This record gives sequence, C-alpha cells and structure tokens, in this order.
Amino acid sequence: MTLKHVGKSYTRNDGVEKTTGSAKYVADMKFPGMLHAKVLRSPYAHAIIKSIDTTEALKLPGVFVVLTGKDVPGPFGVAVADQYPLAKYKVRYAGEPVAAVVAVNERVAKEALKHIKVEYEPLPFVIHPKDAVADGAPILHEDLMNYNVAPYVYPQGKNIYQHFKVRKGDIEEGFEKADLVVEGETWYPYIHHVQLEPHCAVAQYNLDGTMTMYSTTQAPFVVQNCINMLHDIPLSKIQVIVPYIGGGFGGKSDVTIEPLVSCLAKAVPGRFVRLLLTREEMFIGTNLGRGAYCKYKIGLSKEGKILAMQGESYLGSGGNVDYAVNIVTGMGLAGTGPYEVPNLKLDVYGVYTNTPPIGALRGYGHPEVHFPVERLLEKAARKLGMDPVEFRLKNLLAEGKVNGIGQVVKHDTGNVVLCAEKVAKELYKSPKPNKGDNILVGRGMAAYMKTPCMPTNVQSSVFLKLNADGSVTLATGAIEMGQGTYTVLAQMTAEALDIPYEKVNVTNTVDTLISPYEWQTVASHTTWGTGNAIILAAENLKAKLKESAAKVFNTDAENIKIEGDKVVYNDKVLTWGDLALGYKNPDGSALTEPIMGEGHFVAKGVQNPDPETGQGNAAADWTQGCIGIELGIDKTTGEVHLYRLINYIDAGTIVNPQMARDQVLGAITMVISSALTETLVFSEDTGKIRNNNLVDYKIVGIEDMPEEILIDFVQTPEESGPYGAKGIGEHGTVGTAPAILNAIYDATGIDFYELPVTAEKIMMALEGGE
Amino acid sequence: MKHSIKIRINGQWYLGDVETGMTLLQFIRDEAGLTGTKAGCENGECGACTVLMDGKPVRSCIILAVEADGSEILTVEGLREGDKLHPLQQSFIETGAAQCGFCTPGMLIAGKALLDKNSNPSKEEIMEALGGHLCRCTGYKSISKSVEIAIDKIK
Repeated sequence: MTLKHVGKSYTRNDGVEKTTGSAKYVADMKFPGMLHAKVLRSPYAHAIIKSIDTTEALKLPGVFVVLTGKDVPGPFGVAVADQYPLAKYKVRYAGEPVAAVVAVNERVAKEALKHIKVEYEPLPFVIHPKDAVADGAPILHEDLMNYNVAPYVYPQGKNIYQHFKVRKGDIEEGFEKADLVVEGETWYPYIHHVQLEPHCAVAQYNLDGTMTMYSTTQAPFVVQNCINMLHDIPLSKIQVIVPYIGGGFGGKSDVTIEPLVSCLAKAVPGRFVRLLLTREEMFIGTNLGRGAYCKYKIGLSKEGKILAMQGESYLGSGGNVDYAVNIVTGMGLAGTGPYEVPNLKLDVYGVYTNTPPIGALRGYGHPEVHFPVERLLEKAARKLGMDPVEFRLKNLLAEGKVNGIGQVVKHDTGNVVLCAEKVAKELYKSPKPNKGDNILVGRGMAAYMKTPCMPTNVQSSVFLKLNADGSVTLATGAIEMGQGTYTVLAQMTAEALDIPYEKVNVTNTVDTLISPYEWQTVASHTTWGTGNAIILAAENLKAKLKESAAKVFNTDAENIKIEGDKVVYNDKVLTWGDLALGYKNPDGSALTEPIMGEGHFVAKGVQNPDPETGQGNAAADWTQGCIGIELGIDKTTGEVHLYRLINYIDAGTIVNPQMARDQVLGAITMVISSALTETLVFSEDTGKIRNNNLVDYKIVGIEDMPEEILIDFVQTPEESGPYGAKGIGEHGTVGTAPAILNAIYDATGIDFYELPVTAEKIMMALEGGE
Repeated sequence: MKHSIKIRINGQWYLGDVETGMTLLQFIRDEAGLTGTKAGCENGECGACTVLMDGKPVRSCIILAVEADGSEILTVEGLREGDKLHPLQQSFIETGAAQCGFCTPGMLIAGKALLDKNSNPSKEEIMEALGGHLCRCTGYKSISKSVEIAIDKIK
C-alpha cells in the first residue's frame, strides 16, 4: 500500500493560530457576570481541622459565598474514593484546599481568604514512600479498608492502598543458578510537570440542572463523569468545553481543579465562576509526578544472561491516590524494562504520602522502573567484564521472546534490538572526544519500552462530516495540548478518504455535549485509538456515498466506484459535494440523505492482568527504543554538558516525521532536567513545597540542550494501529535518566542511584565526599 | 487610586483608568483585549508575557501599566503586516516551533527584538536572546532553528 499523506512532514494545522496570538485558551475567555474564586490551602502537610470560621470573610463587600468541607459532596474517586473537593476533618498535604471564596473579582476573593479562621491540630507527616511504610509511620487514611475501591485495587491497610504483583518462573531457582547478583535502590523524586499554562476552569450551573464548564483538561469526558458522580447531574446535561491547552504532560488528565469549581458554580446558580491558579498553586495544589523508590536485585549467569529479577517498588502517591493507582500498574507491566527475564518477582506498592497527589506524568510508571533496571544492568555488565552493548543485545526482548507479563514478542511488537544496535553504532562510532584536562567525557545508553496502561476497553469515536463543497470536517473528542494531534489526525483522515490534506479540517474545541466520545487524551494513544476510529469512519462515509450514488444511478452500491473526489458509475459522474447534503431529483424532491461518516473504535482482547501473577494480555501494544548520551563533566564545578543525544525509536509507522522527532525530543528534554536539576523540596517543619516557583525549581533552558541531536526511527508497522502507527508522545522520557547516569558513571566512575544528580552532588562525589 | 493612562499597542492607542497595581500584562489582556500575550507565572520567570516596549523586550507581568503610560508596545498580534505573516511567524510554522503555543508569543517577540537590532546574529546570540524563555514542549531546537531561518527570510 502506497501512502500519500501518512509519513509526510506536513506543517501543523494550528500553526497560524498559535503564532499570531489568535489561538484561544481558557484563561483568555471572559463571560458575562463572571465571578472569581480563590482557594485557602492548608499550610500543614498533615493536620486535623478543628474548626473553620468564615463569618468575617462573608461580611466583606463583594463576597458571594465561602465554601468549606461541610458544603461539598464526596468522597469521590474512580479507583479509590478517598477525596473531597474541599478537605473534611483532616488535611493530608500542604496545599490541600480547605475553603474557597467566590467574589466579584480576584482581589476581593484573595482579601476574603485572610478573614477565614482555621484552627489546625498538626500531626506527624511523611513525605518519602519508604518512610510511609515503616513501622510507626503516621497513617493518612485510618479508614482505608472501608473505602469504596475499583475491583482491581487491593488495599493492604496502613498507608498501602495498592499492591500489584508480577510472578513468572521460579525466582528462587533463578537466583540459585546465578553467578552474579547485583542489587541497588533508586529514588526518582517528586517533580512537577511545569506546563506553561496554569490550570483554569470556568463553570456555570443553571437551576434547570445543567452545568457548563470550560477547563484546561486533557480529559473532558472524565471531568463530565466526575461532575455526574458529585452532583447527580445527568451526563447529557454536563457540557465540558476544552479549547487549546498550553501543555498537559499528564498533569491535566483525570480531574484536578474541576470538582471544586463545579461545587463553586453550584453555589451561585446562573453565574460563571472562574478559578485560575497561580504558579505557586500549580506546584502545591495540582498533581505531581514520579516519587518512586525501587529496590531491585538481578541475578545473572557468567555468560551475561539475566536469570532472575526481584523488585520491590513503592510509589509515593500523595494525600489522595485516585490518579496513581494505574501508575502502580505501569510500574509492574514494564518492571523488567525491555529485557527477557525468565524468573521474575515484582511487588509494586502504592503508598499514601503527605504530598500533593501524584498523577500521570509523561512516562507513567515506566521511567520509574527503567531507572533501577538500566542502572543495575550497567553495573552487572561491568562486573562481568562485558561490553554493555553486547550485554544488552543478549538480553533484549527480541522477536519470539517472552516479556515479564507473559506476552510473546511478535514481529509487530517492534524491534528494540535494532534500535539498540543503531544507537550503539552511532554513539561509539569514534573515540571519545578530548575536551581538555578539566573535562571528563562519558557515554551511556539505555533501552526502553512503554505500553499505554489504558482501561481494557478504551474507546475512541469520531465523526467525519461531509460538507457541500466536498471538504470534510473531522469531529473528535481528542485534545490538542501541543502534541500536534489535529495535524496527525487530519493526515490520517486524508489518507483514509484519499482526498487532499487541505480538504480536511479538524474541530479545535471539544464539547462533551456534541463531540464524539474519547476516553481522554493521555497514554500516547490518540494516534492509535482515534486513528483507528478515523479509518472506520472513512469506510462508513465511503459506503454511504456509494449507497447514495446507487440510488441516483438506480443500481447496486457495489457497482459504484469512488475515484478521488468523484463518485463514478460507468460513464456517469457525481462529486462528493453533490451528495453531501442529499441528492435532489429534477423536480426538487429529495432522493438521498445528508452524509456523515461515523467511526467507533474499542480496543479488543486487552485483559486485566491476573491479580496474583500480573500475567495476561494487559498491554495493548509496546513502543520501544534506545537512547545514547555523550556528555562531559567539568571537574572543577561538577557541571554536566551534554554533547550528543542519539535516539532510535520503533513506534511503528511514523505519521509525521518532523512532529514525531519533536515529540521524542520534547520528552527527552523534560527528563534532562529531572536527571540533573529537578526535584521538589519539602519543608522539614511543615511539609510544604518550598521551591514553588520557576527560579528555585529549575527546568531545562535553551542553554542546557545537547549540542548534537540525532533522533530517528525504526518503523515496524504495528498490526493493531492505523497504517501501522502507535504511540510516541511519552516514550522519550523512559530511558533518559539512566542513560545520563550511565554516562556519568562512564566519565567519573561514580554510580548515582538518586535523582537529580546535581553539579554539587557530582563535586562532592569527585572530592570523595559520597 | 485610579490613574488615567494611554498606551499605544500595535499602533493603536488604548486609554484606561487603572489601579496602581495593574500590570502592563493585565492592561494588554484585560483592557486592550489582546490575549495573545500569555501569563505563565506573573513573576517575571518564564518569559511568556514578553512584549516590546519602545523597541525593547520586557516582561509585561512585572511592569506596572502606569509605568508604560505613553509608551509604544508591540505584542504578538502586531507582528504580522496586514495578512502577511512576519518571517519569524512563518519560520515558527515551518519548523513546528509552536507546540502548545503558550510560550510562543514571548519567543516570537524575543526573536523579533534580536533581529531588529542584529540582522545576522550568531547561534550564540540567538541562544542568549532566547535564554530565560521557558518552553516545556519543544526542547528548544526548533525554536532556535526558526530564528535562523527567519534571518534568511528577512535578507
């Protein structure tokens, strides 16, 4: 099959809007009579709320309502019902909303916060998941065992709300046979997504029982569902509207500020209420990411084969954990990295901690576990005296091998071996450069794999509206947050309909009342899921064209041919536009109906993993790849300079090479700073995040980027994907930290197992302090 | 206390009676209704709100509207000439340098400020001009490349 549009680097179809200032985001919108909300947040990481007095705040001119925990419904949660829109009885992280004011403007709302009196009884708190499972640790949810949980959640009591197990082979026998055992512990700290656009939601509740909400969410249909559960409003009356969003990275998925904003809107019927977070509030009052402590042990033969792997991982998940449950699953499914492990025992624990909730963050459990695996395998290769590349190639999940959850690697699973070979060839093509006496040069690599971690029956629907001029409008519930979704979906639409790319326009606003259903824009699954729906919709549209034309020409549909934008029967020709709104007989009467293609895709054959062994067809697909890094370390300052970045990824067919490259680079870039600079610092006194601004929390700047970048593809078409495509958005995050740390080892001989590896830490270690 | 001020934005005068504490960013977005300029941190740390003030790039979130009284401001909306996009806008589109689009207005203005005073900047000078402008999507390479491409377009 020759592809005309898939595989071409079309420029983004939102480029003009986004470079001229006309692209609209939620905070750009104003509504008549709009009121403003501000939130009073807990200064303590763990405390009992003894009393709240809002009397004085309510007296302030311009204040409409002040809500506290007693005014809001709950608990709610899809996986674990453990949270409220405003804290009740107790706060579990510094930054948790305790009260909220709705006022005529932000200034009055902010002023009113000062007049709310809250009496707290501070409790001991716990930040690190290792401490949260220690004996005598403060308990966050005393009543956990009585909470409503989804069937795949197994609370263990104390602070453990989930235990995910993977069991394969005979772990004891595996270690008995091992000639070498390597062990280590890693810590991937709490970090923030740092989307440039702050979270914002504006909602209006009407007394006729309808709710409208504009929100910066990746998950309008999840928000719709949450509002339905909280307020018992029928789904058909909940309109969640999402324009462009200014970066998500998982931090705007599921729900964040929306439950609270829905309660505020409900308190002032008829009025729009807006909540726009400050940068500080984004750090302390939205979801964080990572927070993974892993303890791994790997047994190997002297020939360099992995014989056994045992992992115990703890995901610090925050004061409420609804959004972390499936990250725990991801850490289990991908817990071996892209390596064959015949004897395996993984235990992943989800743990309550007194931090803001940990949610999805680009990578979703995969960077967390690739970190120990890739660091320890590097160590093992060294101890065995083997070349780290050869050693990896021996153990990678090549075709025919069996992964940690029992899936046999098929041809279309992807070719991680080829990715690794290509990276190694490029990385080691010449001797290390000489950068002078003060610079230690090192090289390292890491292979990776990632699966979407979706519900088993994840759904994507689209409509293809045929217009009277023959152009086509694609209606989708997928969100554009920077990843270029609408361009890629337009390319696949043009491909599926065999029409010029310019004839396809994509709706750039999602509206849960009229947009077709889309689970949520996460898991790098839109190209795959929505793309599959597009192919089905295109078939549906073409079938309708043929049926209509058959009526016009008085024949059977199978006799009709579609040639470009023409519908042909022998020597008779109609354009698509002639049929779009229905064909009219010469006497003016209508003969055929308007045409819209519908496509509805649901993943089939994906199962829940076995609760005792984690085995099963629980991963819809895997994208795999390998990353190599060459860097230099200044001996006098400890600073790391990245010279070369090489990445090969097998994400199946690449729909838009330029945009795909930029997705991979963007993902890798996020982890350059989580490897070297990023970590949230919690106050030892109160547990509040101290570096809640963009100066003290340093993300990558332009000056930190590698000098040379090579990102390329191995394209093994994925059987389940549209035109062989699958996800690519997150995967650059997965192997980057261990690749950098392996290169730092190569340069210095120092093994780091905790992130970030700052210049100070490197200096201390070089000076023998660590 | 309110102050009567006027600010010329993209060639058009905007009058306003503003509170002392109103920032230039708030004036541009709320008074003039030009929402292309973005508020990323409102603390001068991210660069998203950068505009040209009398030809110089400034972070409009840390300048008071009253300080900008009488000044000439250029925002992202004023970059194009009629229907013709500025070379930087064209090159940003060609390279895909605008992903989520939130840092883009500030990046474009920073690029414009650079090219206005230096028609042939080196890679280092481009990096310097874009330094301190945060982007979480792109990894910056497409952005600096866009500025390089725009140099040739302007020539």
